[in-house]
Amino acid sequence: MGQFLEILSKPDNIPIVLLLLSVIYFTWLYWVKAKRNDMATVPVEATQDDKVQVWPYLVRIEFLMTIAIMAVMVVWSIALDAPLEEPANRALTPNPSKAPWYFLGLQELLVYFDPWIAGVVLPTLIIVGLMAIPYVDINEKGNGYYTYKERKFAVLTFGFGFLIMWVALIVLGTFLRGPGWNFFWPGEVWDPHYVAVLTNVDLSEYFGITTRMPDNSLNPLAFIFGAVCVGGFYSLGVLYWIKNRNTDLMQKLGLVRYSVVSFLFLSMVGVVIKVILRLLPTAFGLNPVKYVWVTPWFNV
Amino acid sequence: MFDQLKKTEVYKSIFRHSYQDTQRNRALQIVDNVFLHLHPVRVPRHATNLSYTWGMGGITFLLFLILTITGVILMFYYRPTAQYAYEDMKYLMNDVPFGPLIRNMHRWAAHAMVLTVMLHMFRVFLTGSYKPPRQFNWVVGVLLLVLTLLLSFSGYLLPWDQLSIWAVTVGTNMARATPLLGHEGPLGPELGMRIDNDVRFVLLGGTEVGPPTLLRFYVGHCIFLPLIAVIFMAVHFWRVRKDGGISGPEAAKKI
Amino acid sequence: MSDQVSQEVNNQPAAEAVAQQAPKPASPQISPSPLPRKPKQDRPPEGDPGIWRLSRRNLLTLAGWMGFFGFIIASTIGSLRYMFPRVLFEPPMKFKAGSPSEFTIGEVSERFKDEKRVWIVREREGFYALISICTHLGCTPRWLPSDNKFKCPCHGSGFYKTGMNFEGPAPRPLERAYVGIADDGQLEIDRSIKFLYEKNEWTKPGAFLKYTG
Repeated sequence: MGQFLEILSKPDNIPIVLLLLSVIYFTWLYWVKAKRNDMATVPVEATQDDKVQVWPYLVRIEFLMTIAIMAVMVVWSIALDAPLEEPANRALTPNPSKAPWYFLGLQELLVYFDPWIAGVVLPTLIIVGLMAIPYVDINEKGNGYYTYKERKFAVLTFGFGFLIMWVALIVLGTFLRGPGWNFFWPGEVWDPHYVAVLTNVDLSEYFGITTRMPDNSLNPLAFIFGAVCVGGFYSLGVLYWIKNRNTDLMQKLGLVRYSVVSFLFLSMVGVVIKVILRLLPTAFGLNPVKYVWVTPWFNV
Repeated sequence: MFDQLKKTEVYKSIFRHSYQDTQRNRALQIVDNVFLHLHPVRVPRHATNLSYTWGMGGITFLLFLILTITGVILMFYYRPTAQYAYEDMKYLMNDVPFGPLIRNMHRWAAHAMVLTVMLHMFRVFLTGSYKPPRQFNWVVGVLLLVLTLLLSFSGYLLPWDQLSIWAVTVGTNMARATPLLGHEGPLGPELGMRIDNDVRFVLLGGTEVGPPTLLRFYVGHCIFLPLIAVIFMAVHFWRVRKDGGISGPEAAKKI
Repeated sequence: MSDQVSQEVNNQPAAEAVAQQAPKPASPQISPSPLPRKPKQDRPPEGDPGIWRLSRRNLLTLAGWMGFFGFIIASTIGSLRYMFPRVLFEPPMKFKAGSPSEFTIGEVSERFKDEKRVWIVREREGFYALISICTHLGCTPRWLPSDNKFKCPCHGSGFYKTGMNFEGPAPRPLERAYVGIADDGQLEIDRSIKFLYEKNEWTKPGAFLKYTG
């Protein structure tokens, strides 16, 4: 346990503790305010619509916040020294080697995906997906006040993406990943010689289709199997469209917006499924899944 | 004495109105001040409610200012070459008066800024403030988030210690695998990408993290990225005003 | 009405040019029936041809625009090219590693790992050189003699002594570098020549040096 507290209080990990606490607090705050607005006929914000003068009522808040933040920054900077380790040495990789904390969620995904997905495609999808939000969310309600009832899908999806896929993975990557990027529970000692024996297999091998032919070329059956898995997963979005296309919501959303939403949503779910495929089998003594789809050019 | 001063032409040329607490002077405080002029004269009361705004956007801007100032001060002692960078860091941390304070503040403010940007985005999402007419400003905000992460990441390399070089090695190695543009990415080699002409090579200025990388990241961190960030911040703040100030339940009230 | 006529006249020569060139922002009055006219402030000033009136008559305008965009594009390409240096100040990829007899059979030599980032492995039948860059994200794996494997500290990829990946996220085996015998009898390693297992290159000459001395 001592070592866990030590990791927790490492100066560079303070922001993550802050992140965790503030995210919990603000999620709770949101929940309280949203519940209150959902019960009332008119959101609380709408009753505070009378105008006040910026000088002094807003400026004084800014002024006080500035002083408070400056005080916090000065105390923080006096109390904790920024880390400065050994001089750079290309030949000696520290164990574990970690990216800056805000990228640890992505680094965690590197365990499950090839670098081109985890390092390039997923970040791009995150950025593009975030930018697309205002243009695909056609729900006019919930503009400018806290609410949950009026935009459940939006809040749940974003909350899952931000709280679980981003914050929780950062916390996991910082506090629970030790040497060799092995998983350690809080309280376990980070043993640099710990060896996790993991023999990964491809998903098709669960169904008796070996990925590689004896001469090390790709088995076409495995290729087709993977293509069907991935293609079938994304075609769920198409099926849902065909089933519900005549509802009011879908008519209003339109095919283009729907395609964007379903692609991004399924991609997010797909990431979770791949993580589960990697982690869950070990609980039953089976081999974790390495790839779902192996092709000559890329592996998913 | 002070009254005499207030009557001089010099004083009057600087301060255009008296400080007497009247509604008119309160408005003039905002309108006649180039910095406060960012604000409207009056705002809805919920805009002064911290539990609505969380104050994270403003704190982010404050942290950006702190980072700019401490960053400029750090530049006086830091030389961005592989030979000197680490020595200069040691010098800053051990012998420069207030050096550790400035460096610590730069680093912690950078961490804090990443945090506040994320929380600001969380709040804007939860209040639905990206909805019309503010769609474009959300896009600008996402770009600012990316710029914040890039600024922080490029600054990570500058101490030139083990922590920085390996974090950046791991980070930039992902660029190897960029589809089409990386020499190990899908379809990259087929397009003629090699280790010395792909997208990672441009970032690093070499085939591995080395002295040219330090210089590139330094220029990017100190000049290029802040400049772009300032431009986007200007657009961001301006659009907040142009899109009707802070978001609020106007539609709900009309019903 | 009069200004509309003059506009039409003005457009006559333009129409031919428009037909030849790519579609340009349409000239305002093409519709035959006079539509309800827009308020004045939503129309261009009367008699003002605007800046997009490209025709033979203002060839110079066209040339000016082409020059402008040509300059923008050329300077963008130029600045991109500027970021690719011609000369790299990095250690040479090709080096001599000493006499083959200095290596014992079964040994994974880490002598050149720090400087050149290769391991030289000697087996009973000969030599091969593994590049000590993890194929996952380029960290430097460690040789663990007790476990007889390479282990990457970044994300836990493991490689057998041959360089084959068997655990962790590494997508492919370690790369091998060229090994040969130089004129003076020393081992010669060239990191710029790589042999990739997944392209069946490990069987090529140079990936493995037969040596039983």
